Amino acid sequence: MKGWRRMGTVATFEFLSTVKRRGYLIATFGMPVFMALYGGIVALPAYYSQQRDKEPSVFAVVDGSGLLHLRGDAKISTAQLPAELRRALESAGQKATLDRMQADTNIIFRPMAEEPAARAALAARTIKGYFVVPADYLQSGKIDSYGPETLRFSSSDARNAFSDLLRAHLLTGRVDGAVAARVLTPIGESRRFAVTRAGEVIDAGRAATAVRIILPVAFMVLFLMSVLMTSGYLMQGTAVEKENKVVDVLLASASPDEILAGKLVGLGASGLLQVTVWLSVVLFVGIGIVPLMIAARVQVPWAAVALSLPFFIMSFLFFGSLMLGTGSLGSNMRESQQLAMVWSLTAALPLIFMALLIQEPHGVAAKIMTWVPFTSAAVIVLRASFDPGALAWWEVAGTFVVLVTSTWLAIRLGARLFRIGLLSSSRPTFREIIRQARLSPSTRA
Amino acid sequence: MIIVAFDGLTKSYGHTPALGGVSFDVPSGEIFGLLGPNGAGKSTLIRILMDIIRPDEGRVLLFGEPRTRAHLDRLGYLPEERGLYTKLPVVEVMTYFGALKGLTRAESRRRALEWLEKVELPHVASWKIERLSKGMSQKVQIAATLLSDPEVCVLDEPTTGLDPVNVRLVQDLLVERRRNGRTTILSTHQMNQVEALCDRVALINQGKLVVYGEVGEVRRRYSRPEVRIAVRGPLPPVALAVAPVQEDDGTWRVTISNGAQPGDLLRALVEAGAAIDRFEPMLAPMEDIFLRVVGEGRA
Repeated sequence: MKGWRRMGTVATFEFLSTVKRRGYLIATFGMPVFMALYGGIVALPAYYSQQRDKEPSVFAVVDGSGLLHLRGDAKISTAQLPAELRRALESAGQKATLDRMQADTNIIFRPMAEEPAARAALAARTIKGYFVVPADYLQSGKIDSYGPETLRFSSSDARNAFSDLLRAHLLTGRVDGAVAARVLTPIGESRRFAVTRAGEVIDAGRAATAVRIILPVAFMVLFLMSVLMTSGYLMQGTAVEKENKVVDVLLASASPDEILAGKLVGLGASGLLQVTVWLSVVLFVGIGIVPLMIAARVQVPWAAVALSLPFFIMSFLFFGSLMLGTGSLGSNMRESQQLAMVWSLTAALPLIFMALLIQEPHGVAAKIMTWVPFTSAAVIVLRASFDPGALAWWEVAGTFVVLVTSTWLAIRLGARLFRIGLLSSSRPTFREIIRQARLSPSTRA
Repeated sequence: MIIVAFDGLTKSYGHTPALGGVSFDVPSGEIFGLLGPNGAGKSTLIRILMDIIRPDEGRVLLFGEPRTRAHLDRLGYLPEERGLYTKLPVVEVMTYFGALKGLTRAESRRRALEWLEKVELPHVASWKIERLSKGMSQKVQIAATLLSDPEVCVLDEPTTGLDPVNVRLVQDLLVERRRNGRTTILSTHQMNQVEALCDRVALINQGKLVVYGEVGEVRRRYSRPEVRIAVRGPLPPVALAVAPVQEDDGTWRVTISNGAQPGDLLRALVEAGAAIDRFEPMLAPMEDIFLRVVGEGRA
């Protein structure tokens, strides 16, 4: 009972002294501001690019085939669409195709009789480019496209718009409205579904896929950030205690296990608070997404959401114990960070293997990583997010038991290292650590 | 009543022995002096008492039972190498130390403020520790150690670096603890403090207990059979007084002949008609005892 009370006292102290730190407050509340500024800076070029796209782009067409019958500057939405085709589409009830064809692309096609005139206009930069349709186009299917040396527009919107223009003129008067509509828009509306191993049909649209990817990625990133930041605080606190010689007073009041557990809980809570603030900001900013998700009937992977918190906490305690135990062996902050770096890299493993895990969430690699306590939390959440049906309950339960057991062992090992580290004024040798670790608690110094 | 008992404590660091079977008792309600030269094993003994390190052999009995971690709340400890969280306010650090000893945060905070008054530093409650002078910091540390009113408190060199006024302040706090029935183990090299404060001492040298007992008894044990006598007129010759020497202030230093006690000499002088103003058996200063015992150990 007293052990819990002492642990609680250490946890409360660590939590309160951390959340009052200037660095913590800046990181907690400054991070969303920083991310907003960063997002703004990244979005700025895209915004200007979008604005530029709204300005009409003029492309010349030198029609040697006589198929197009272009009359002056025009968009495909108006004069370029043959009246006969428009009537055919309307009468066949293909309004969607008509709307798509008439959508404003801001690309204007300007007929020019001769290629040299078009080249001169391009050289003078009065047009963005030009297409040359040769006389044998119907036989050869060849089109030459020209553009400035700084811009390759062959795969741009202009090429797509010009293809639509060609298709429209080729179809006019040759097929009925329905066939014309399918040639112009072979796939009008596409819905995507996925079939689980249990035979269940689930939504596989972009929004649903995004949610399934975002959830585990967010878990991994937040977990890694939380572990790295909190372990930094943990090691800093311990280094300060060693430098300020508070260690003996602490050890005369609580056991190393109680101190270590208290620090983990206190600083873990401050880390969770930080993550909660960040998530709250993200949710507040992104609250507009919710109706869209509901409208798109996106299935939230609730199993993954439910597993996130317990696995996050347990994995945090697991890494935190190891990092604090190892870090406490250093005689100063820099040494501590160097010693604990191996755990930081290990915590990042699921992110490193992210592509493989997404590709094969239930593959051999993923299944192995599920049972390894260093990677299990992130992989379980990812697997539950992608295909919960393929994740057996005994895998979840077994993994959690392994993680809990590993965490308990990590706390024991961390406490031993912590004790050795706290009582050593300089960095103990590997031999000394092994000697101390092998001693029973009754004879340890 | 014995409140702390060290029973055959042995401890080595690698091949270096630190304690070699130390046993002694600390009675309740006393100020107990733990003495010894640097490296004698005092800190090891204290750290074993506080369960910071474990002995190779032997045990510690606290309150009449084998020491467990449950006893930690009833112990206080001010280590020789000590410090505080420099970036935090004084009252917060003191509150934390009190809470670690089982007080509620509210009670601990109340006592912290009360103890700052006691050590004449009420104005520093909200200061960050780094702003305190060395002496202030030391008094805050002492207050933080004592605020939980521990039944047994170990203070390792508590007055080093304090000015005489603050030394007196700390000494008064220790005397007050004794008056309240609390036990204080005082580790110090200041022998005048031992004479002024301690009821009993243990002197450790090279990991062994070499002197133990009540301060007066120890001083008598190591004293030569001499008395200081102030008389009006000449000192009458008596058989028990050997080789009297008159000091500069007019008093006589007299060696008592073998086997006789100071009382025997006093009686003989009175019978010889001496007009005695002062008769004082001369006790060996603790400093002399320390130097002698440690010197013998080195020889």
